[in-house]
Amino acid sequence: MPKNYPTERIRNFSIIAHIDHGKSTLADRFLDIATPGDGRKKQEQRLDSMDLERERGITIKAAAVSLELKIKGQDYLLNLIDTPGHVDFAYEVEKSLQACEGALLLIDAAQGIQAQTVANAMLALEQDMEVMPVFNKIDLPHARPDEIAQELEHVLLLESEGVLHCSAKTGKGVPAIIDEIVERIPAPKGDPKAPLRALIFDAAYDEYRGVIVYLRIVDGIIRKRDLVHMIGADANYEVLELGRYTPEPKPCDELHPGEVGYLISNIKELGDIRVGDTITVNKGERAEVLAGYREPQPMVWCGIYPVQSKDFEDLRTALDTLKLNDSSIIFEPETSEALGFGFRCGFLGLLHMEIAQERLERESGIDIVQTAPTVPYQILLTDGTTRDIHRPGDLPDPTQYNEVREPIVTSHILVPTDCIGPIMSLCSERRGVFLKQEHLSANRVMLTWDLPLAEVIYDFYDKLKSGTKGYGTMNFDEPRFFAANLVKMRILVNEVEADALSVICHADDAQRRGRAVLQVLRKEIPRHQFKVPLQAAVGGKILARETISALSKNVTAKCYGGDITRKRKLLEKQKEGKKRMKSIGSVEVPQKAFLAVLRTD
Amino acid sequence: MGDDNLRFFLDSLNEITHFRNSAAEVSIEANPESFTDAFATAAIESGCNRLSLGVQSFQPNILQAYDRVHSADEAKRAFYSARKAGFSRINLDFIYAFPGQDPKQWEADLQEAARLDPEHLSCYELAYEPGTALTKLKQAGRWEPEDEDVCQALFESTENWLSGLGYTRYEISNYAKPREECLHNLASWRSLDYIGLGTGAASWRNGIRSKNILDPRVYQKRPFEQSESEARLPEEALFDLMLMGLRLPQQGVSRKRALRQTGLDPAEYWCELFNQFKSNGWLEIKADCIRTTPRGLLLLDTILGQMLPEV
Repeated sequence: MPKNYPTERIRNFSIIAHIDHGKSTLADRFLDIATPGDGRKKQEQRLDSMDLERERGITIKAAAVSLELKIKGQDYLLNLIDTPGHVDFAYEVEKSLQACEGALLLIDAAQGIQAQTVANAMLALEQDMEVMPVFNKIDLPHARPDEIAQELEHVLLLESEGVLHCSAKTGKGVPAIIDEIVERIPAPKGDPKAPLRALIFDAAYDEYRGVIVYLRIVDGIIRKRDLVHMIGADANYEVLELGRYTPEPKPCDELHPGEVGYLISNIKELGDIRVGDTITVNKGERAEVLAGYREPQPMVWCGIYPVQSKDFEDLRTALDTLKLNDSSIIFEPETSEALGFGFRCGFLGLLHMEIAQERLERESGIDIVQTAPTVPYQILLTDGTTRDIHRPGDLPDPTQYNEVREPIVTSHILVPTDCIGPIMSLCSERRGVFLKQEHLSANRVMLTWDLPLAEVIYDFYDKLKSGTKGYGTMNFDEPRFFAANLVKMRILVNEVEADALSVICHADDAQRRGRAVLQVLRKEIPRHQFKVPLQAAVGGKILARETISALSKNVTAKCYGGDITRKRKLLEKQKEGKKRMKSIGSVEVPQKAFLAVLRTD
Repeated sequence: MGDDNLRFFLDSLNEITHFRNSAAEVSIEANPESFTDAFATAAIESGCNRLSLGVQSFQPNILQAYDRVHSADEAKRAFYSARKAGFSRINLDFIYAFPGQDPKQWEADLQEAARLDPEHLSCYELAYEPGTALTKLKQAGRWEPEDEDVCQALFESTENWLSGLGYTRYEISNYAKPREECLHNLASWRSLDYIGLGTGAASWRNGIRSKNILDPRVYQKRPFEQSESEARLPEEALFDLMLMGLRLPQQGVSRKRALRQTGLDPAEYWCELFNQFKSNGWLEIKADCIRTTPRGLLLLDTILGQMLPEV
């Protein structure tokens, strides 16, 4: 049974970094030191528990791991709260940081400070925590620590004296980081005698055990079999199991102030667990609520529909489960003429949306169709009121509103000096307004532009990456709303409006967008036995047309005695595939077509 | 296989089956580069009476692009060797609809083939079978197949050109002079029983579809064991019968024989659907024959897809 630690022997910290700067690798080295030869999992990146994370090389889900270490003859408990590194996930970074007293700011010594380094460091500094810069990949031949030290002082105003150097890959310099964590990061404060206050900073769902709550004890002691109360959700539960992740779960009887661990209470009601909520005791003296988290603002919306309408309720359960694990997702039921019953879902960004969609399919096994993403808009109606909309179908008739306002984000784009030209043209093509240009060092520059969010959520990242040989990075602030000449572009398939395909776009851009969408549809919709006209229209005006010619040949050239079974199975598979298509009027549209339309710009 | 091996094999087979006294058709398949005079003589002397030669194309650029080791001249030489040795029934295998192939080139191939005066021609549209190198290239976006409309035009002109040269399309990809159809293949398209010998060979007997073991080492030890074997229910056997029989635009499917083999009359079984196919101009339904129209033949997979039982 793991022992408990007094607060002065506890350090709670996160690693914040730009994507691919080596965060998960460093976490693995910490684990190696804490549990040497402990049934070693040879798999790299031991902290990332989801398949998807490993596939994409990014960490989506924050996880907490407890490291028990002997430092200068004393036993210490170091809790590492993992954070995601991508721009979309600032909200999750914030949640994780609230459970810590300090953070390692990990910077790739070759790549230097990137947009997310800046964004995450700012989040940490805003919370008044100890930020310890660490240069990683220091033994790479093109590492340039001196230059980066300069950037650190220049951009983040952080002291570059005594910055730690390491190679997370080889482990060089890692023990020194641990010593420095104990030295510099403050021990948590907390009164074991005060009434219980614990912060829910994350949660996951296990099919057999119910909700697994990640919590940080602030005051008091939580014990197995305690009756606890979730203040925000107003729900009561009995503590069935407490423990720490090492990274394997290890049950314990108590968690003390400053400690981080998990709680299992056979919670099946997913709505009872809200990340940011405070846990206290059920009876007796109740504690004050801890400062809650900021509500996330979804910036990208799309419709998510089950391919088979019978899966609607299962999809709702799957979304509930996903939301528990990722509270920044918002969803509400909606109906579409083309797609039937589904949900309108809000995400923090485009990558967030893609990952959520993949997780939904992978974890629930439900086939889903997702509509084109859209940003939220504000409509100023003729009666003087404003209305927020987040689906193209909700844009009223032009006679009923005076203006449409779209979200504009101030974006900081870090690029090598020799790439300024193409990135400036990209931003201005995307209806951007140039604000300023600052040199970080001799060959790196930060451009600041106001960009319409709608333009950013399409393939802006891809274009930024390809325009800078992969070196460009960006992040953006909270959006503000400004009026723009926006229209609803409708797509008609065989004269029937496909509401799931309509988009709100800038009037000047409607024709180009319409053409691009139709070209994709023409490729993705299989031929039918009749001719299928495709049209893009704004109001009553047709902006673009394409035609899918009728299917006139569909025959297998070779089929002999030995091919019958295979041929029959192929026909059966095709028939099955047809079932998974969605009908728009009399036209069968494969899921792929809906998805491909998302990729057009 | 060398000619000695061929003689040994067919002699042994004859000892068991006496095929030399009874078989109506003994076909052998060969590639031009390995079909020598000596091999041709060995084949004839061991009882073969029909040859199928894998010519594929007479165009050097195409033969090279598809890693064929023979040349057009070699293919012709193989043909003449066969004739000289005594093969009176010869088929030439061709492939067409290579991306970007000039239709005139394909017509020239057929003209040249016809000058050799073979009894039978198989003309296959280039297909993208699952798992082949070409299919992988196509999936990776590195291979653009020929346009569907062009393929259709080629499918139709192939028949026109060949009928002008005296060959009838009796199956989707098979053309023959009168009474020169391949009897063995015709039997399988008509769902008559057949036995496959050798590794991976398929059989259809007494309502059971089976396949031999594919691995030669395992097969040697257990030649009578099947890797797959499936008894077809009457409805399923009927579907299979249509799947194969509708490939024959002339003969089509005999309702009487279907009834005899499966106990079901397809025209009754798919009554409603066939009425729709008839009004689409896809099927012809006569007293004893169901067959595709030229348009229906082009859409055979669509037709069969709709005939599949609901699952």
